Amino acid sequence: MTGTVKATKTAPTAPVRRAGASRARQRRRSALFGGGAVVLLLALATVSLTVGELPMTPYVALRALVGAGDEGDVFVVQEFLAPRLTAAVVAGAGLGVAGSLLQRLFRNPLASPDVMGITGGASFGAVSMLAVGASQALIPLGALGGGLLAALLLGVFAWRSGLDVTRMVLVGLAVQAGLAAAVNFMVVRFPAELAGSALQWTTGSLYGRTWTEVWAVAGAVVLALAVAFTLHRRLAVLDLGDDSAGGLGLNTSAARLQLLVTAIVLASLAAAISGPVGFVALAVPHVVRFLAGPPTPGTLALCGLAGAVLLLASDLIVQHVLPVEGLPVGVVTATLGAPWLLVLMIRQSKAVNRSSL
Amino acid sequence: MSKIEPGALAVAPPPTTVRRVPLLVVGACALTLCAALSLAMGSRPVPMSVVADALFGDAVGRDALVVTGLRLPRTVLGLAVGAALGVAGAVAQGITRNPLASPTTLGINAGAGFAVVVAIFALHLTRPAEYVWFAFAGAAAAALFAQALARRGGDLDPVRLALGGTVLQLVLLSWTSAVMLASRRTLDEARFWLAGSLAERQLDVLWPVLPTLVVGLVLALAISPALNALALGDDAAQSLGVPVARIRLAGGIAVILLAGSAVAAAGPIAFIGLAAPHLVRPLLGADHRLLVPGCLIAGPLLLLAADVLGRVVIRPSELEVGIVSAFLGAPLLALLARKVAR
Repeated sequence: MTGTVKATKTAPTAPVRRAGASRARQRRRSALFGGGAVVLLLALATVSLTVGELPMTPYVALRALVGAGDEGDVFVVQEFLAPRLTAAVVAGAGLGVAGSLLQRLFRNPLASPDVMGITGGASFGAVSMLAVGASQALIPLGALGGGLLAALLLGVFAWRSGLDVTRMVLVGLAVQAGLAAAVNFMVVRFPAELAGSALQWTTGSLYGRTWTEVWAVAGAVVLALAVAFTLHRRLAVLDLGDDSAGGLGLNTSAARLQLLVTAIVLASLAAAISGPVGFVALAVPHVVRFLAGPPTPGTLALCGLAGAVLLLASDLIVQHVLPVEGLPVGVVTATLGAPWLLVLMIRQSKAVNRSSL
Repeated sequence: MSKIEPGALAVAPPPTTVRRVPLLVVGACALTLCAALSLAMGSRPVPMSVVADALFGDAVGRDALVVTGLRLPRTVLGLAVGAALGVAGAVAQGITRNPLASPTTLGINAGAGFAVVVAIFALHLTRPAEYVWFAFAGAAAAALFAQALARRGGDLDPVRLALGGTVLQLVLLSWTSAVMLASRRTLDEARFWLAGSLAERQLDVLWPVLPTLVVGLVLALAISPALNALALGDDAAQSLGVPVARIRLAGGIAVILLAGSAVAAAGPIAFIGLAAPHLVRPLLGADHRLLVPGCLIAGPLLLLAADVLGRVVIRPSELEVGIVSAFLGAPLLALLARKVAR
């Protein structure tokens, strides 16, 4: 595998025929990976509908999903299992794509919503709602608002007749640190039980999602994903560096702003539905790049798929494998995803790792 | 996705040498002032004359007792922890060549946090002084693991170090949350330590880690000239005759010693290691021979200022220094970022 990656990376300098062959190979690999992810996602989705308080066969569960069969089964599947499943898929896809956009936009392998203030903002919004004693239903709105507040702060401080990458990174760090401190402040001063629910929320959890929330967020995520795909060409040009991109006639600051807003909206929406789940946005783009090679428009889709698979699998583990009841999904994503990422990272050859990150 | 070289952060014209030395002196003066304020301010303000008497003379009474018994240990602790964090941040960013790197992203704070939370959960500990060894062991174990992940051919791969460390950090953080969510008592006990604080600590939390801290400081200052060569890239550094692999390993060890000591003494204070180098770079330039001593001053300055402020704002109660330093440093960093890259 290492050898093929090397060939892909050296393609531009290789003879034309080899370059074509390696491109074809990469396309094949992306298709294989994408197909595998889709199959895995469907399998996990089926599993998530069939295991539960009352186990069903896949046939019964799928029939219940479309409204046929026993009334009790239909109720359980449609009101409890399906919204949670949809929430996991939507949030995972949103986080995966947002992470991919941010890492390429910031040109930094560590860039992710966790570092750039969106996680801090969403936590801040949610915990503030807890602090003022608002009802549970308002917490997702708080998370969304907090994420967008972080984005606003990022924009206000980082915009100075244009968006410069270095400045964005530093401002993002500052925003994240300030908002995380605000969360910490509230958690330390909360009574113990409120601190518990705050921790639950800021770790990211998929409990008790209702269709109203899920539909609203899913619709918005799909819209934002569509925007991300239409903007992909600009992202590819930005990858060439600011000077080249400007030379090709791209308004780099405007393009960067559009992409940044898209990524932030995606991450905030995901946080609204699942809380600020860590790790997905950071890890998924790396895993996809290690497996499928340099970025193409297909990479974004792969990131979305892989994010959905990771979050759904984590949620299944939280619900059915862990001995402790009621843990948030965020405690598992990192544990589940880290070994993959670390193994892939260590298997990479030196030259590739240096040049591709 | 290339990374940003730290050198790129100092796009501003390099300050002249004439400006640099006075700046260091000004910084040292500000630090002295902060230390004096730290002795005088608090829920029970003490006049400066009494502070001086308590320190150097033979003042007795309640005020003098507050100064020598409570605030002096706290101030010394703040100086040591701030210096360790600031220098550790500068070295961490130097060896990884990533401005987002900090002791936190190398897994050190998360390792300490996890070890302490597990210790509280399993052993029913209740006092910060009892956490010291667990915190240091957790920090060292996590950081060594992160560096083992990044090792290749006797060298540390900077990208792997930053990425592997961040991944490890997230895993440990999630485990910490899991333990705290499973046990209410642990959450209630640990959340105060996890915020990072100097309050109610005596020097007994500092003595155990003082040797490691000093060794780390010496090591960091010793390799600071070589970090300049490292900033040019591995190949360039190699051709300049700098033993890249050895320098990076030494830097990694220095970061573990410094940040491990700091987190063991005061809990995870995330922001100072990250921000101190970024605050110093626009003032003194990216030359590590000045950057590292600059962080030696800026780290404690930031930490003590935050600690004093935390004691004053909501008297008679107080805010944890880990929280105030982030509140205080975040706008500062954002404003500096506006100036840095034009």
